[in-house]
Amino acid sequence: MAEVIQKKLQAEVEKYAQMQKDVSKSLSARQKLETQLTENNIVKEELDLLDSTNTVYKLIGPVLVKQDLDEAKSTVAKRLEYINGEIQRHETLLKDMEKKSEQHRELLASLQQEFQKAQGLAVGKA
Amino acid sequence: MTEKGQMSLEQLGGVVRIREEQEKVVKDCESRIQHWKKVSGDYEALKDRLQTLPDQLSYDIMVPFGPLAFMPGKLVHTNEVTVLLGDNWFTKCSAKQAQKLIDHRMTHVKRELDAVSQTMKNFEARVGFAKDLETISASKGDYVDIKEEVENSCTAVTKGRQRIAHKPNSKPKSDVLIDLKEGDGDEGRDGESRKGAMTEEELWARLDELEKLEALQDEQDRLSDNADMNGEDTSSSSSEEDKETEAAPPVTGLSLKPSWSSVPHSKETTHGARIVEEDDEEEEGSCLPTIFFSHTVEPKKVRINTRKNTTLKFSERKEQKEQSKKKKRNGHANGHELHKITTPADIYRLFVDVRNGEPIPRKSILKSRSRENSVCSDTSESSAAEFEERRAIGRGFSHDEATHSDTSDGAAEEDGPAAAAPPTHAAGRFEAFSGTVIEKDPMPLTVPHLTIAPPALPTILERRQEEVTPDVSPPQPAPKRVSKFKAARLQQQ
Repeated sequence: MAEVIQKKLQAEVEKYAQMQKDVSKSLSARQKLETQLTENNIVKEELDLLDSTNTVYKLIGPVLVKQDLDEAKSTVAKRLEYINGEIQRHETLLKDMEKKSEQHRELLASLQQEFQKAQGLAVGKA
Repeated sequence: MTEKGQMSLEQLGGVVRIREEQEKVVKDCESRIQHWKKVSGDYEALKDRLQTLPDQLSYDIMVPFGPLAFMPGKLVHTNEVTVLLGDNWFTKCSAKQAQKLIDHRMTHVKRELDAVSQTMKNFEARVGFAKDLETISASKGDYVDIKEEVENSCTAVTKGRQRIAHKPNSKPKSDVLIDLKEGDGDEGRDGESRKGAMTEEELWARLDELEKLEALQDEQDRLSDNADMNGEDTSSSSSEEDKETEAAPPVTGLSLKPSWSSVPHSKETTHGARIVEEDDEEEEGSCLPTIFFSHTVEPKKVRINTRKNTTLKFSERKEQKEQSKKKKRNGHANGHELHKITTPADIYRLFVDVRNGEPIPRKSILKSRSRENSVCSDTSESSAAEFEERRAIGRGFSHDEATHSDTSDGAAEEDGPAAAAPPTHAAGRFEAFSGTVIEKDPMPLTVPHLTIAPPALPTILERRQEEVTPDVSPPQPAPKRVSKFKAARLQQQ
């Protein structure tokens, strides 16, 4: 009886560990997005500082490709929006994962209690 | 004890862990600050370089050739700079424009730097607290964690009265007219029955009035605190004394201020005597604010308000007891009719001087000369009233003296000899319950007092002493605190 519970417990622990990993992954992805967000904001502002006389290049692989200033501005704006959307998505994901991990944690706690009881019984019996 | 020790150990462990984590954060913050500072320095250097770069058309430099070699070359187009804007975006711009871009970036860097330093400060503070907590839980430090368990079972003991928090203007402020039933000692009981008869509305109105009165009283108390402590201001001293006495016994009675616009103040718990007092008060004033020349007195204290017109408060019952006593002793009939005040003229009736058993109306109610003989003085035999009565008597006497000094009336002279009689009178009256005699010498008439200050009444201490001295004849004052005026008077005696 105790062993069964123990196995169950271990399985649950692994699941919980997996969930925690997912949560952390999601979290790091979100952080990355945030840095990108700030960067693109700076780019946008700096593009605003420029005038049309300066040529703008985009680095695509090893090539610097000439871009139009306005095009560049719009591209950057689009990218910003995209990044914001990604951040939102990741946030919701993160929340869900947090909830799930909480539930899992409770489950684990209850299982642990059971296990300890069973162990206690087993010790008593033995 | 072991449990406590275990708990403290756990706490200690927890606190240590917290401190360590916080210190980690602090270190991280420090490193980040370092990073940002470096960035900032780099940008500064870059800016300087950009400023000097366009000075020449071309420079001879050693160009890095691969990772390990350099080769001589020239730096041309010194004004053209390709700037990385971020996220794989480049722009070609002049040196000056590049400088502008740098400035823009610098602001961003500064912002980041400030944020990080702020968090570092916060965490440093937290570390400090954690350290303190550590020392506390280890019981090494100077601080001791003081824990006090709060019992919520017992209600808060409030000094003084219990008040109802009435909502303002929630009850109809109707004029509560309650007929004063002339009664004797049974008035208390009557009062209670009457209380039942009072409508709720009246009750609320009464409560409101009494609330007002209490507010007034508080004000006066406050004022009295600031007033001269020597007792120059009788009202203040008396009110202070009243406060003292108030504080000690649980106040159940009304705290009536015989001020001109006082309103009887009733407490939540109903009390026969209080009701009586309420009724008394009601009797005298029919509208708010009421003028109370009431002689109703709280069971435990007497309040003296203004300088000369020291109206005392005491219960109707006591007053009538006193009246009945007077009847017995003096053989004159101060009837119950005296106590029913329905018209202002009745007030004058109350303020009478009793001389040789005859009530002689005073010339002015402001001049309360033989206070002890007037209705104002309280000679109830109830022990609760004893104290204040004695006080009243004492006040009466002292007041007499003061008024002697103050007034230059012909009536004052009358009071001189009369004052001698009242002390004996009062002594006789008091025999019933204490035998203590008010030790107050009658003022010599010829002593002029230039001040118009309120008569100096003895403080409670004084009076206590007076009262306590058993069977001591009046002219044996042994007060601890004597007001200036009284002292002068005593000296002159």
